[in-house]
Amino acid sequence: MQADPPGGMERVAVSSIGVAKPPEAPKQIGRRYDRTTLLFLGPPAILMAIFLVYPTIYTIALSFNRGRRGEFTEWVGFDHYINLLTGDKSFLDLGSFPPEGAIWNNVLWAVFYTSLVIFLGLVVAVLASRVRYESIIKAVVFLPMAIAATALAIIWNFVYAPDSNIGLLNAILSPVTDRGISWLGNPSLVNAALIAAGVWGSVGFATVILSAALKSIPSEILEAARVDGATERQVFFGIIIPMVSLPISVLAVTLLVNVVKLFDLIYVLTNGGPGTKSRVIAFTMYNDSIPGGQFGRGAAVAVIMLVLLIPIMAYNIRRFRSSRVT
Amino acid sequence: MTAVAEPRAAARERTTTERIVRFLNKTPIHIALGIIALIWLAPTVGLLVTSFRPRSDIQVTGWWESFLQFRYTLANYGEVLSGQGMLQAFINTFLIAVPSTLIPLVLASMAAYAFSWLHFPFRDGLFLLVVALLMIPVQVAFIPLLKLFAPTGLLNSYGAIWLTHTAFALPFGIFLLRNFFITLPRDLIEAARIDGSSTIGIFRTIVVPLSVPAIAAYGIFQFLWVWNDLLMALVFVQNGKAWPMTKAIQNLLSQYGTEWHLLAAGAFILMAVPLLVFFSLQRYFVQGLLAGSVK
Amino acid sequence: MSRSLRLSAFALAAALVATACGPAGTTVPPASGGPAASAPEGSSGGSVAPGPAGSINVLSLWGGSEEKAFQAVLADFTAKTGVTVNYEADRQTYSTTLQSRITGGNPPDIAIIPGIGFLRRFAKDGSLMKIADLGVDTAGLTSSYPEGFLAAGTVDGQLYAIPAKYNNKGTMWFRPDVYKDDGVTANPATWADYKAALDSTKDKPGAMALGAKDDWNLTDWFESIYIRQAGVDAYDKLFGAEGDWTDATVQKDVDTMLEVINDKYVVGGIDAAVGRAWTDAIAQVFKPTPEAGTFYEGGFVGGIALGQTNTDLKIGETIDWYPFPKINNTDEVTTFGGDVVGALTDSDGAKAFLQYLVTPEANKVWASTGAIVSPHKGVDTSAYPNDLVKREAESLTSASAIRYDGSDLLPAGIAGEGLGALLQRAIRGDKIDWADFQTRVKAAWDAE
Repeated sequence: MQADPPGGMERVAVSSIGVAKPPEAPKQIGRRYDRTTLLFLGPPAILMAIFLVYPTIYTIALSFNRGRRGEFTEWVGFDHYINLLTGDKSFLDLGSFPPEGAIWNNVLWAVFYTSLVIFLGLVVAVLASRVRYESIIKAVVFLPMAIAATALAIIWNFVYAPDSNIGLLNAILSPVTDRGISWLGNPSLVNAALIAAGVWGSVGFATVILSAALKSIPSEILEAARVDGATERQVFFGIIIPMVSLPISVLAVTLLVNVVKLFDLIYVLTNGGPGTKSRVIAFTMYNDSIPGGQFGRGAAVAVIMLVLLIPIMAYNIRRFRSSRVT
Repeated sequence: MTAVAEPRAAARERTTTERIVRFLNKTPIHIALGIIALIWLAPTVGLLVTSFRPRSDIQVTGWWESFLQFRYTLANYGEVLSGQGMLQAFINTFLIAVPSTLIPLVLASMAAYAFSWLHFPFRDGLFLLVVALLMIPVQVAFIPLLKLFAPTGLLNSYGAIWLTHTAFALPFGIFLLRNFFITLPRDLIEAARIDGSSTIGIFRTIVVPLSVPAIAAYGIFQFLWVWNDLLMALVFVQNGKAWPMTKAIQNLLSQYGTEWHLLAAGAFILMAVPLLVFFSLQRYFVQGLLAGSVK
Repeated sequence: MSRSLRLSAFALAAALVATACGPAGTTVPPASGGPAASAPEGSSGGSVAPGPAGSINVLSLWGGSEEKAFQAVLADFTAKTGVTVNYEADRQTYSTTLQSRITGGNPPDIAIIPGIGFLRRFAKDGSLMKIADLGVDTAGLTSSYPEGFLAAGTVDGQLYAIPAKYNNKGTMWFRPDVYKDDGVTANPATWADYKAALDSTKDKPGAMALGAKDDWNLTDWFESIYIRQAGVDAYDKLFGAEGDWTDATVQKDVDTMLEVINDKYVVGGIDAAVGRAWTDAIAQVFKPTPEAGTFYEGGFVGGIALGQTNTDLKIGETIDWYPFPKINNTDEVTTFGGDVVGALTDSDGAKAFLQYLVTPEANKVWASTGAIVSPHKGVDTSAYPNDLVKREAESLTSASAIRYDGSDLLPAGIAGEGLGALLQRAIRGDKIDWADFQTRVKAAWDAE
């Protein structure tokens, strides 16, 4: 194997003087991967193996165990899974219609949060592009991303407080309601309220991405379409949407992964309440493990969560294959 | 036809009347954007106003009424800033956030480069594995990693949290940067190879300079994430003097009371740096996020 | 080019700087002799330098004003023994921090434990030291602490924690001025009296305030009614491993709760109450212009109302409490809450601290700060700063029976909705499936 030539800088300097390199260079690329590649891939690979792969395997193994203290104390087989999927109404309740439970809540988030964020992101991006203070609007909408989860909790508590003299929303609605609405305390409203808070926090992210994507659509294409007599609507749906479909799908995937891992907002705003109504999978996993001390059960929840992510992964793989660089 | 008329129309726009007309034509847009801006600002502004209100007012009236009462105070900020160890905590947050941003930046860039421009067996399969690792939630790692760290000294210094933040940031970084790197002009890289540049050389002289927006975007994201983090710090920083500000602010609270006034002020103190970082590096952010998803 | 060089230079510099000025003066003492049952990695803390001789780490969930009070005790301890204390507070994520420390081999020497379910779990995990092993005469403790309290700290017949703080949970807080204005002349003594008082104060300005978002408020209601309605023995049974939640007394209790917790008496209505934090409910009663006349919770309400909500309150005029009304009981009985203190290492400092904590002097220091009521019998009630707290302390010894807060006795790992969540549903009119709860509670007891 060829030893690595002396540092790149010197090589570039040398070659710029005009010393030609023999044409066996292409072969060098193939063989050079042994050492340099190891340098480039090694540290990240080691870190990921230790910190990501090992805990995952540990967790999968723990899910078949009682898991006291997080250690392997007693084998229980599939007990946790059976209990979670059939015996725990707060996790999955297929008995009522619509279904309930943490898994169902994640489905609600996946559908409503993702679509609302993308829709609103697009709307804001399009509207903002028509005015001169565009970057101000984008900054305003993006602002929530700089805010920590604990701060978001306070902010939304002040919006959703059930007393109209403290809660913003109830104050606005007070002319038309006789009593304050308990947004976070009412089981029928709490998930909607949380999703709204989540959307609020993420639209900025979507706006920024979609705005840049919109700008990269060559204006000649739009002009040509308009010249040909296409209506704004046809332009929007026939040209703009298809051309931003790739960024939208990247966005959607990112949002969906966030939905499955969703934890912070639930934890600080309702702690899964009222009761267990606003729980999501990641919350159950944490709650069963650390406060509850049932690490095996928490591990089983984690595994279920990972299984649910497989379709998203599969989609990623397919998309990746179609955009591969040879 | 419109294409031809546009430039002339743009030139004529200079007259004030025309500008006013143009502005008014867009009134529906302005209204819509105004509502949007209101919705996105109101909650945060509410918190800002609350942070300047005396404690007894906060529990009794809404923050919007404070404009009529006009009773404001800096006491809340004073109390938070002088809180025990708050200055140390502020420094600690930097000490945690900066390496936790820079190390993954470097490592992810290097790995992403390998996945885009180097050849090795199972390259694509491994990349998919990395992307799959994106899915792993952080709570899964607590117990196994704590047991792993226990016999080392890492939990008493920042080593544990730096490594953990880095590892969890890598999948996203590699994914983002690799998608950007593959869009770099092939000829440039080929030319450099033919000229005899080493892999490292190409990385340093071509790939990185051309990718600054993407790398910066990733860096900003990571910095914001780590700066605002509480949970990971709780678990992996086990030395009471090393806690970040997110934790220090929590410690101002008593067991039962909800000291909204302190939390509000604390939230803004905490927000100051991320906002600064974001606004000063904004342009990179836009370009960088776009990277790899369009084209 | 220059930029990336700059970036990497900065990175290197930052890394160097960070390592140089890492956590200043680490005083983490070697985690000595951790629990025997822990994994073979051991807790000898690898490269942790031993701290200055004689210092301990104390972890608790007290922050803010409670911490200040506790610091007075710690200062006294250091003065008497020379052992310095590193105090760490963790208010909301206590279990995470404690578990992380234990697993990470860095257990604090002393931990204040907020719930008995936690205590049992950590004791059974093998993370807690037996008090008897730490140089404390456990047999002698019965003369210092009420029996109900020591029982709470006992797991499998061994004492693992010492009572630190006592909160009487049978205190009905009210505004004497509202009662006076509405013609309520005597403090309600029985349940019927109480309902009559609610009727009198209803809408003038309001009967009672409720903050049911924190569902433990509802469990306290449940327990206070249960111990008086069904009796002390039934109470002990229900909140133990043999408890039967399908028993008729349970639903009867809930029905009794609903006699007063309903849209008629609760200011703002039940819906709003379920979304309201309990401290906001305190504010509803004790702010300058009250919205309601009564609020039920434990003795700590006084401290919060006086210290945080409204510093202009006058004891006896605008704030006071009377014992929770009698239902079927003839004697005064009460439920109580409280924090217990346990040791996770057997370092000399930990031993010294526990031995110090069981002395009357330590408790006097603490009591005089006004932040707590001490469970120690050796503390005279004159040590307390105001009448509200004095009477609360007296209730410790004057009650014929005291029992630890039931919901804190239940196992920590109950799957699905806990008692509080069920009660939240009950007050909104849902029917509770007690059989399902019984199954889950039993499973949790068995899993311990």
